[in-house]
Amino acid sequence: MKPTIAIREPVVDDALDQAEAKLTPEQIEKVINEVIDKETGGRLWTYVNTCIHCGLCSEACHWFLSNDRDVSFAPVTKIKDTLWVMLKNKGKVDAAFIKRCSQIAHTECNACRRCGMYCPFGIDIAYMILVVRRICAKLEMVPLYLQDTVHSHAATMNQMWVKPDEWIDTLQWQEEEAQGYVPSARLPLEKEGAEIMYSVIGPEPKFLAQLLGNITVIMKVAGCDWTMPATAGWDNSNMAMYSGDFEVMARVERLHHETAQRLKVKKIVMGECGHAFRGAEYDGPTWMGWMKPPIPIVHAIAFYYDLLVSGRIKIAKKVEGPVTSQYPCNVIRNAGLGSKLQYIMNEVCENFVDLIPNDRHAFCCNAGGGTINCGPPWKKIRVQSAKLQSENFKRTGAHTIVTPCHNCHSGVEDIVDKYKLGMHVKFFSELLIEAMEIPEDLQP
Amino acid sequence: MVNSESWDWEIANKMVADTSKWKSQFEDVWEPYISSDGEKIASIVKVGEGEFNIAVNNATWGEEPFEKIWYSRFSPDGRLTALITKDQEWTMAVDGKPWEQMYEYIWDTKFSADGKVIAATTKQDGVYAITVDEKTWECPVKLHSIASHVISPDGKTSVAIAQTVATAEADVNAFTKGSWSVVVNGKPWKENYVDVYGLTISDDGKNIAVEYRAAICEYGIVVNETPWNEKFACTWEPVFHPTNSNEITTPVRQGGQWFLATNGRIVWDTGFYSLLYQTYSPDGSKIAATVAPSFAKWTIAVNGQPWSKTFNECLLQPCFSPDSRKVAVIAKDSGNWFLVVDGTVLGEGYDNIWPPVFSPNDNKVICKVEKNGKYAVAVNGKIKGKEYEALWNPVVSPDGTKVMICGVEAGKYYRKVVLLSDL
Repeated sequence: MKPTIAIREPVVDDALDQAEAKLTPEQIEKVINEVIDKETGGRLWTYVNTCIHCGLCSEACHWFLSNDRDVSFAPVTKIKDTLWVMLKNKGKVDAAFIKRCSQIAHTECNACRRCGMYCPFGIDIAYMILVVRRICAKLEMVPLYLQDTVHSHAATMNQMWVKPDEWIDTLQWQEEEAQGYVPSARLPLEKEGAEIMYSVIGPEPKFLAQLLGNITVIMKVAGCDWTMPATAGWDNSNMAMYSGDFEVMARVERLHHETAQRLKVKKIVMGECGHAFRGAEYDGPTWMGWMKPPIPIVHAIAFYYDLLVSGRIKIAKKVEGPVTSQYPCNVIRNAGLGSKLQYIMNEVCENFVDLIPNDRHAFCCNAGGGTINCGPPWKKIRVQSAKLQSENFKRTGAHTIVTPCHNCHSGVEDIVDKYKLGMHVKFFSELLIEAMEIPEDLQP
Repeated sequence: MVNSESWDWEIANKMVADTSKWKSQFEDVWEPYISSDGEKIASIVKVGEGEFNIAVNNATWGEEPFEKIWYSRFSPDGRLTALITKDQEWTMAVDGKPWEQMYEYIWDTKFSADGKVIAATTKQDGVYAITVDEKTWECPVKLHSIASHVISPDGKTSVAIAQTVATAEADVNAFTKGSWSVVVNGKPWKENYVDVYGLTISDDGKNIAVEYRAAICEYGIVVNETPWNEKFACTWEPVFHPTNSNEITTPVRQGGQWFLATNGRIVWDTGFYSLLYQTYSPDGSKIAATVAPSFAKWTIAVNGQPWSKTFNECLLQPCFSPDSRKVAVIAKDSGNWFLVVDGTVLGEGYDNIWPPVFSPNDNKVICKVEKNGKYAVAVNGKIKGKEYEALWNPVVSPDGTKVMICGVEAGKYYRKVVLLSDL
């Protein structure tokens, strides 16, 4: 098996360089064989032995299509250049190889699972990429900024190093902001027995605090019985799931679910984030041994859909002009919320211009799967490899792109900036605040 | 411990407060809390623009309203505490009287077992500390954050997991050298760790144990600054033996399975897909834990032996009877919560079940349950008596003959004492 020729601009990532200098062949062999023998099984071997190397997965991949069909970006190549070599050599590979594996698995694949949909055998290539990441993580070969995010998860149980007092203080501040719209709005902290625990991802209190104010208004208008925890366990995001540090992933997910159990809520409604839904709904529970989340999880798309369909929130004035939406992979392709997203768009926007392809077939924003968390060193290739989706956005002629996912939001902002699309990027909650009716008795 | 012997255990049905009046008295009324003895009910209330107070039975709490109030909690001795702001600074107020010292922030109120000692995490001038009864730790190193804290039952020892070393943004090397530690009454342990979790203090207050992360993929247990020799792929929270605080038990992960380890040695030789919430019996002779022998099959193992009955969603923490003979747990199966005792489901499924309590002779297991938005007391899984709009956990009298039931009916808060035999 000849190595693929991969032409890349050099990228300096101190964490990868340091790990390469430290690793020994013995460590590498031990970890690879431990992971393959003890953490994988029939699923991996079925995939590896079923693949006929047809390359149809390539046509599904935005990395391949955005980079002039460069075969080194094809999904099958990513497996050929990583896992196949590890298996063939029974773990006898060197540190430079592991570094390249991390580059491929962490920075050049979003684990968006579009390729698996186009594979004639339905091989979940993203799963194999995550096995590679797991091996890399156990060898401490993780890009610097992604590892720093995982450290934040491990130390603070949130991804942005938000301290406990900063969290509570921000909620109290945003409660006041919400009262500017609806004076009787309240953000109830630690209310045991509420129907809903609302959880968010770290960037909301850190950079996007207005989203906490938005949800406070929406919950009040909709008459929801809800609460937010004043303790760790409020962050539903999980970059450890994507770095391959499954022990930290499990600790974070366990705390998130146990916080909901402690508050005796009926369900967790989570803010607009795709990967967080995946972690809380599937990866975390699976590692813990739960068939499904012990407290049911509802993504914001499904929640807003229910509020609109039931009439608990009404639209006073639709958003004018053409608006489009990104389809976050983890809640659309992988959880089937596409039609609900479209319903919300049609309810809230005067002119919803859909993407082509759309719904489960839509392309990834190229920020998901932990790639945007790999940070500035890897930004150039990431945004360059979102060229295809930039063209799809441009064709809609929209003035605004809705992104019901934080990674999509940041990734699409990068796309808009790089490709000079001149579009706004918004969350659903921002549109709802603009468009929904505030009943007279709740107005200032 | 709270001395419940002094409570009023006369058989009675007492209307303590008509809380329905609060809604017309105040602009907004928050969710209520009650004192341990059930004699007081309190809710934070809005009395004006940017003005809050607490309604307690038929009175208000503070003489003057505060700008903000939150986290109102009764101390076990019956005093009502809350976190309040004045002139945009925060402090603790006890029975309406603020502590003299104000803080940038204060949160996470904790009490000693008898409620005499009140502690909370505070931040002042960017420095974090634990403040115990208005006295703030004097720590020789700057604490950059406090993740959690505990207080010993006697209130003499307060301990926190704290960040003792500042780390720059994305300085992963500094982080892996260790920047977190344990601080006991203001004195940090000499070692720093990558991460520290699961802070536990023995009932006698003499011993402290935590999980720690020695390296990215290495976890262990430290007891009073001394780490176990053994390292594991992962650990969960350690617990102390109830009568021998030299014995510490924790779930540990090895070779992709979870085991139970005591003082570093694996004591349950069966590995599980999942193992957590290990709980000693009151006499210390048994350990029960929530386990999944295989994926999505949850049960309780007692001294390593799993019950034959399994549940497909999850189990909460097991609870022993006072004589250590029986084990009860709340289990979730196919969307409903069930009370399970020694592997047998008692009664029907509910929308929610709160932690159960055993009667002294083990014959009855009593708990608060929720069905269709109403709350009730269930005995051995079956609802006894009426439904409530709000209900608190039933409490068994010290002599084991009576039960205190506190709940809200038609907006009125009642404290009832009934004979256990009548339930």
